[in-house]
Amino acid sequence: MTKEKLQKISTGLLLVVIFGLPLVLRSPTYLHILILLYLYAYLTTSWNLVGGFAGVLPLGHAAFFGIGAYTSTVLYLQYGISPWLGMVLGGIIASIVGLIIGLPTFKMRGAYFALATIAFGEGMRVMVENIDYLGPFNLNGPRGLQIPPLNVGLTNLMFTNKEPYYYIILIMLIGVLAVTYFVSRSKLGFYLNAGGEEPEAAMSLGVNVARCKLVAMAISTFLTALAGAFYAQLTLFIHPKSVISLDLSFEIAFIALIGGRGSIAGPVLGALLLRPVSDFSRIYFGATLPGLHLIIFGTVLILVMIYQPRGLQEPLTRAYHGILNRLAPVSVKEE
Amino acid sequence: MKILEVRDLVKSFGGLRAVDHLSLALDQGQILGLIGPNGAGKSTAFNCIAGVYPPTTGEIYFYEEKTNNQKPWDLCKKGLARTFQIVKPFASKSVLYNVMVGSFATTDKRSEAREKAVEILESLHLADKKETRAGNLTIADRKRLEIARALATEPKLLLLDEVMAGLRPTEVDEMVTIIRNLREKGITIFVIEHIMRAIMALSDWVVVIHYGKKISEGTPEEVASDEKVIKAYLGEDYAVS
Repeated sequence: MTKEKLQKISTGLLLVVIFGLPLVLRSPTYLHILILLYLYAYLTTSWNLVGGFAGVLPLGHAAFFGIGAYTSTVLYLQYGISPWLGMVLGGIIASIVGLIIGLPTFKMRGAYFALATIAFGEGMRVMVENIDYLGPFNLNGPRGLQIPPLNVGLTNLMFTNKEPYYYIILIMLIGVLAVTYFVSRSKLGFYLNAGGEEPEAAMSLGVNVARCKLVAMAISTFLTALAGAFYAQLTLFIHPKSVISLDLSFEIAFIALIGGRGSIAGPVLGALLLRPVSDFSRIYFGATLPGLHLIIFGTVLILVMIYQPRGLQEPLTRAYHGILNRLAPVSVKEE
Repeated sequence: MKILEVRDLVKSFGGLRAVDHLSLALDQGQILGLIGPNGAGKSTAFNCIAGVYPPTTGEIYFYEEKTNNQKPWDLCKKGLARTFQIVKPFASKSVLYNVMVGSFATTDKRSEAREKAVEILESLHLADKKETRAGNLTIADRKRLEIARALATEPKLLLLDEVMAGLRPTEVDEMVTIIRNLREKGITIFVIEHIMRAIMALSDWVVVIHYGKKISEGTPEEVASDEKVIKAYLGEDYAVS
């Protein structure tokens, strides 16, 4: 058996397991934890298009998540527009806002860019907390919006059990991974990496670095907003602290940095490792030690940055390939 | 035909005039050498020509089109490529990846970009290192990678900023051969260099600057015997008797 074949088989097995999981795992609590795991893997993968490939550290992506959540919810509550359509509209609005934010901030480097995006994210939250009506749209300030679970069904992206949510976010995750895969192999991917690493050299080779970053930002914020709309339909209750929180922006960055930014597997592995920590620390220590997961994340991040600066994906993919090579009888291609 | 013409170029940084009324021109297929002491303004002149900074005053014409305020990426698409004195490889990526970034300037297809990158690496004897991470290359290979990347953009004019600094004598000879081969292919070359042996062997015409001002120009032999150049730059040892 060749290595390629083994790789295909292992991927196939993995797909069967994750698609079959809800048939075995009946507990809604565990399904919810898995849904959130996929959601964070999705968010981090979207973030990675800017934060990983373009080599900057955006820390305000929760704002775009919030734009998605609020757009679809407001449109559904006030006009009865299907959240699916609201999702896409939210994505478009987030893209436009992303471009407006990116235009000035991409001129900054390093920590200044990160600080500017934090300010933007926090500004957005404070603004929504203080606005009851944005024009004709009712945002309901800090009290948030509740979606009454009346017209349950696929058209309204609303279900009484967890399984449909599980499959929807799983398909979204696979979709965003595919987008990342194609971007990373395309001209845009090469240009983003080059511009992130050595902007001057990239410019001299014909790369309009700023424009590439803006394109990445538009894609990334669009995808992030889709997840926001999904989250709103999952919890049926959103408020500024839940969908535009700094914690969310930070957690995405933590997952990416620990998993390995700029790689395709990194965000997924990061979510796989960190989400359970955050969920279980909340379940068991939520009352006594709230925020314990952030302390754990910080510690893990420091260790990872010291010993595996390119993230945990590097040793893990190496181990995976090692196992495949072990299993496959030596078939090294002679060149 | 004049491929590049610089007229009265001035570039000031605050009170410092790094380039002071510099004029020069390059014909198609020529190799022009720019020499001068450290801090003479050679790299600044390059940066103005390549679009990194706009000139304070003066004009730059590339193919008879004024390019004073054009950006590096636009100039690259028009056929102007450059290397950096302090090499700037995309260190975490493979050699092939580095060159593909350059070859994407002329195509949008990954397969074509890859093919062309491999071709260029072969011509520069770097093909066996194509999977090596650029950060792990020796200085000689990094300098070569700079050239490979620039060539991948299919330039008509190539600006080489000290591609031989830090090389061993045998490596300098190899680089001279590489640059000669490029000229054979019809690429016009503008080179900044400190290694006089290489400049003498390569250039058709040499321009000498000092404190941003042109102090001499001519064929390599003429320049090497010019009193002013000997005093400012070469030192008495180079005086041709």
